[in-house]
Amino acid sequence: APLNTKPVEAPQPSAALQSLKSARFLTAINPALYPSSINSPNPALNSAVAAKGKSFKYDSAFLMQFQKVFTEKPSMEFESQIKALIGDGDAGSARSAS
Amino acid sequence: NSDKKPEASEEQITVFHDKDNFNVKHPLMHKWTLWFTKPPSGKGDNWNDLLKEVITFNSVEEFWGVYNNIAPTSELALKSDYHLFKEGVRPEWEDVQNKHGGKWSYQFKNKHAVPIDELWLQVMLAAIGETLEEEGDGELMGVVVNVRKGFYRVGVWTRTIGKSIPGGGDGDVAGGKGRSIEKGKDILMNIGKKFKDVLKLPEGEVVEFSGHTDSAHSGSTRAKAKYTV
Repeated sequence: APLNTKPVEAPQPSAALQSLKSARFLTAINPALYPSSINSPNPALNSAVAAKGKSFKYDSAFLMQFQKVFTEKPSMEFESQIKALIGDGDAGSARSAS
Repeated sequence: NSDKKPEASEEQITVFHDKDNFNVKHPLMHKWTLWFTKPPSGKGDNWNDLLKEVITFNSVEEFWGVYNNIAPTSELALKSDYHLFKEGVRPEWEDVQNKHGGKWSYQFKNKHAVPIDELWLQVMLAAIGETLEEEGDGELMGVVVNVRKGFYRVGVWTRTIGKSIPGGGDGDVAGGKGRSIEKGKDILMNIGKKFKDVLKLPEGEVVEFSGHTDSAHSGSTRAKAKYTV
């Protein structure tokens, strides 16, 4: 088949990216908010200033639970930005000089 | 409209409930900027042109969006660095907010044996989760990983070297005259111990603290350590 050289329609942001952009910030840590399979943030970390409701310290175990859940790029342009800044991650550019 | 039931319209859906359609996200206590140092081309690059700002973020969800879509440290070319610093702070000792500060750092010399991707991730999580220092310490500026021929080096940068700094004010804050030398040192030592824990280093390994200007004046990043843990 001949190559289709017509410009493709501009891609739309994914649902996850739209949610990231439109979601509101939690205003307090609420252990009751999470599904039962999820460990809420360690309450001891925020107890000292919990009264102020402005403390958002998170332990590593809590944060690691997001790793496989939010995998979307943080913007539509991120991939091309990263390629320009960092390269595509192949080791071909590795140098032996120290 | 007072007839509206706020419960119904304000149900909080996290990314754990629905990863595509969530309406609340987890704030970080600071905005963080990821920087990348490109390896020099060998054609007399200006280091400032090699230091690139990648992205600034302020939620847990966005952090993972970034992390999951960039090369892990183990795949970077030699002479690359990642820096994760508080927004508005350039990851260089010349920055006005860094020049009176210092860093805890540790070199992993056996590059093939060390799980650097996991360790660097844990260092970043400790920074954005605000678990490297205590409330009110005000020392943490950022974290860094350097990829070099013979080693990976991981560091935590602090605002001060444990004493007052010009313009630091009179309060009991990082660099303030109201913070005693003893307390300033205790805070730095505590950060060093937490950093060492995050790196899962055995007791016998030594993590070193040095002031940035000590390093600069000696023309080397291997200046005499001021503190160790």
